[in-house]
Amino acid sequence: MNDEEIQRDEAPGLNKRSLELLLKMGWRNIWRNKRRTIITMLAVTFALTLSIGMRGIQLGTYEVNIKYVVELFTGHLQIQRQGYQENPTLQKSFVITDSLRRFIERDPKIVASAPRLLGDGLISFKENSLGALIIGISPNRELAFSKIMTKIHSGRFFRADTAHEIVVGAQLLDNLKARIGDQVVVLAQGLDGTLGNYKYRIVGTIKTGSPDFDSGSIFMGLLTAQELLAAGNRVSMVALMLKDLQEIPSVQSSLKEGLVGTELSVLAWNEVLPDLEQSIQLDNVSGMLMLGILIVVVAFGIANTVLMSVTERFREFGVVLSIGMPRQYLVMLVLFETLFIVLIGIVLGNMLGAGINYYIMTHPIVFGGQYEQVYAEYGFLPRIESTLRLGMLFNSTIATFIISLIATLYPLMKVHRLKPLKGIRYT
Amino acid sequence: MLLKIAWRNIWRQRRRSIIVMISVAVGIVATLLTETVSMGMMIQMLENQIGSHVAHLQVHRKGFEANQVVQNYLPDRAKVEQLLRETPEVEHYSERVISFGLISSASSSSGVTIVGIDPQREEKVTTIERSLVAGQYLSSRRNGVVVGKRLAEKLGVRIGDKIVAMATALDGHVGSDVFRIVGLYQSFSSEFDKVYVYIPLTEAQEMLALDADVSEVAVILLNRDRLNQVQEALERGLGSSYEVLTYPEILPLLVLQLDLFQESMLVFYAIIGIALIFGIINTMLMSVFERMTEFGVLKAIGMRNGRLVAMILLEALLLGAIGAAGGFAVGYILYLPLSHSGINLSMFSASLNSFGVGAIIYPVLTVEGVLNALLIIPLIAVLGAIYPALKAARFRPVAAIRYV
Amino acid sequence: MTAETIMPTEIIRTESLEKIYSENGVPVRALRGIDLVVNKGDFLVIAGPSGSGKTTLLNLIGALDSPTGGAVYFEGENLSRKSEAELSAMRLHKLGFVFQAFNLIPVLTACENIEFTMVLRGVPERQRKQRVLDLMRDLRIDELADKRPLEMSGGQQQRVAVARAIITNPSVVLADEPTANLDSTTGASLLDLMERMNREKNITFIFSSHDQQVIQRGRRLILLRDGKIDRTEEGSR
Repeated sequence: MNDEEIQRDEAPGLNKRSLELLLKMGWRNIWRNKRRTIITMLAVTFALTLSIGMRGIQLGTYEVNIKYVVELFTGHLQIQRQGYQENPTLQKSFVITDSLRRFIERDPKIVASAPRLLGDGLISFKENSLGALIIGISPNRELAFSKIMTKIHSGRFFRADTAHEIVVGAQLLDNLKARIGDQVVVLAQGLDGTLGNYKYRIVGTIKTGSPDFDSGSIFMGLLTAQELLAAGNRVSMVALMLKDLQEIPSVQSSLKEGLVGTELSVLAWNEVLPDLEQSIQLDNVSGMLMLGILIVVVAFGIANTVLMSVTERFREFGVVLSIGMPRQYLVMLVLFETLFIVLIGIVLGNMLGAGINYYIMTHPIVFGGQYEQVYAEYGFLPRIESTLRLGMLFNSTIATFIISLIATLYPLMKVHRLKPLKGIRYT
Repeated sequence: MLLKIAWRNIWRQRRRSIIVMISVAVGIVATLLTETVSMGMMIQMLENQIGSHVAHLQVHRKGFEANQVVQNYLPDRAKVEQLLRETPEVEHYSERVISFGLISSASSSSGVTIVGIDPQREEKVTTIERSLVAGQYLSSRRNGVVVGKRLAEKLGVRIGDKIVAMATALDGHVGSDVFRIVGLYQSFSSEFDKVYVYIPLTEAQEMLALDADVSEVAVILLNRDRLNQVQEALERGLGSSYEVLTYPEILPLLVLQLDLFQESMLVFYAIIGIALIFGIINTMLMSVFERMTEFGVLKAIGMRNGRLVAMILLEALLLGAIGAAGGFAVGYILYLPLSHSGINLSMFSASLNSFGVGAIIYPVLTVEGVLNALLIIPLIAVLGAIYPALKAARFRPVAAIRYV
Repeated sequence: MTAETIMPTEIIRTESLEKIYSENGVPVRALRGIDLVVNKGDFLVIAGPSGSGKTTLLNLIGALDSPTGGAVYFEGENLSRKSEAELSAMRLHKLGFVFQAFNLIPVLTACENIEFTMVLRGVPERQRKQRVLDLMRDLRIDELADKRPLEMSGGQQQRVAVARAIITNPSVVLADEPTANLDSTTGASLLDLMERMNREKNITFIFSSHDQQVIQRGRRLILLRDGKIDRTEEGSR
């Protein structure tokens, strides 16, 4: 075997063999200092586990909250008169035309629909009177549509659209100092501007956990409400329930097309409840910020570790550069070492994070006491749920990966700049 | 002195020490900003409520807070006024008639809380006058009403339009009266704007058949710290048919939230601390192992293990403390201008308004905030150095010297 | 057979080579104009007291450092005209280095250390393995094949280092104090090895050393004093 043969066989530039060599060296190198490597891996694992766990909990909890609100009463979509959302007055009520009804019934993605009429009223019992929102619903439709009727606290829901029976929020009943079975007067201004007042019997109360409903709502039959509010056969909205949240965009756009020319518009739940959506967004952003900080802090730790492992090998690096290793290879070597550590940390972090999320998914945490109150005040359910979504794992992993790589830029630069002699003479 | 040695030791490896300090600083800056913004938000929520309606203290007939009906008017208005005038800590007070009611315009109606006020007195107790965005404030002139801008939009009315207010009067009949809109206000809380309407006190009394009685007196003190003492004094002076409530008792949830927040900040710091501790353990381990020979010599010439451990812990403490101090300084410099100009979070304005906060948040730095920032992380740094320090102490001197 | 005079082929030439570096702000003139020619097959020792500049000269010849004055020519090419990458490639293909200590990569076995430059050059495994095994047998270090540097004695490490330096038959091997950390017997045996490689494979060896053993073995001797050539001796063996 002579030199000509070698020269013939050699492959200049980065080749598979060099790559294998660097990977082999890199892997063995990280285990030279087991403790340091493991601690660094644990740091990455910690950051990622926390990221995935927290994001899972955040997103899972949002999902549950949204689903709850949507299924409780709001629905995925609402058909309203244009301008009603900004200014919910009786003037902006509308009649459900036959074509609208057919349009809704024809769309297979719409699972159920419910018409409602809303108005402000004053409810009085003996000397007490309180303001409340009158909500006219059609019991059979509503039963098939939302969960509001399952939130009966005591008593029962009215059965027909027409009976002069009402269901009020449990807190409202207390505030009114009334009891089930009592007769109350509800006063409201009708569409024509006149004041209507009628007697109704309270047959039940509901408790949803949301102060809006529990202390401020009066449910009555749709026709009863139309009578009270002199609204003829008009409604304030038609709420639509779909199979799940994912269907919203497509149904919304096809409905929008169909409603062109009418004065109606179709809004998704987040347009109907911008507060809720923004609260979620606010929480979301602050959650991501915190995790970002976490990853950055861990990245500093990685940078320091890599820097230490590099400076203590300067002599070795000097020798290796002297005998002809291209400096890019040396940079790649250190890069591979970092990648190994970070990747293992990421894999462990993903497993642990997914594990935590899975556990909470199957065993959600429910709050009581003080926390329950604070949550309810903000319109959130007092529970912690989680979700396991690949996108979440992916995002957290990518973020950790990229930030860790950025952290190694400084040490890699030092390696790249190393002159062989300086390395050899390094003390 | 051990401190001087520890100090010099950390600068022997300048780059490494600086990186640790920077990582601590970054953690502190981020946490500080988060804390001050959140704190600012919650304090603003509370202050907005206090300033727009609740005031420092409220005096009612006993049972009014639970059941805010017209019947529960103050037993003896004059007695309350007298006592308040005699209490030196009281700066201002304002008497109100409060009732739920219905407001109707030509086109629509809305459930509201009608507040009958003495305009001059109310102006000194709450921010209602300053919140006007259109028109004028109430004069004691008849029949003026000030409503929230959002409510006016809902009712489809403008300045100068008439509305009808209705409420159940003392004797049970539904009293009503016509009012002209003289002013529109806008507060930080969309919920508040939709609900509170202001009419002159005398009009309210007339409409509700109250003669000269009032429902509540809202009180502002000269010094908020005297809150509990004043409450006690008033309770003693008024007796058991009255209730004197402080704002924490009226707004328990907001106060609760502030307390819970402190707890959650600790958790936040703990998490950042754990993230930092990995780096500190590694750094200290490295720093200890490369000085093993030196430690061997030190111990051979008589330095006790305890002092060695203390020295290493001190080094970690210094790293953590300097990083924390630096981070605090940077955080503070960032915080100062923000605390004056506020942070614009208008993309969340709908949600913030529903919490009762404006879109501009002014960060607030509390004493706990400062202490947390400066104490927790250095302590965590020391914790992280315990393992490396013990490792340094356990080596026998000769083994250490041979350790190369 | 007619005895033809084999003309010496010049591999390395330095012209007025100067090197000034600064130590703590004070400029130090390590080399003050060195004119030197090294031919293929030389077994050359650069000697001198410490501070005389011998390591500096070796580093300049080995393209590890660049002169502040004068030039180094390797196989006719002026090294100053070459880029960092070109010099690195040159060191990979044409030079071998043996340092005083810490030659070997700690995480690689003797085998892997020796074949290192071949891997970098992309030589396929089959050829590498064969060549390495042959060389290790030749140098009588084959029992060290799978051992890591930590498991070897100083002398063994240096032998492996030599093997690595010569595995691709480089033009020149530069050895900086290779025997300094070894006892005299081991050092002698290492020098035997290198002499044999010089004879059998015609590999040029340039040493920098103050070890008497090394100096005595050198066929050419260059004595440096204060950065200048004091005297040269030819053909001591």
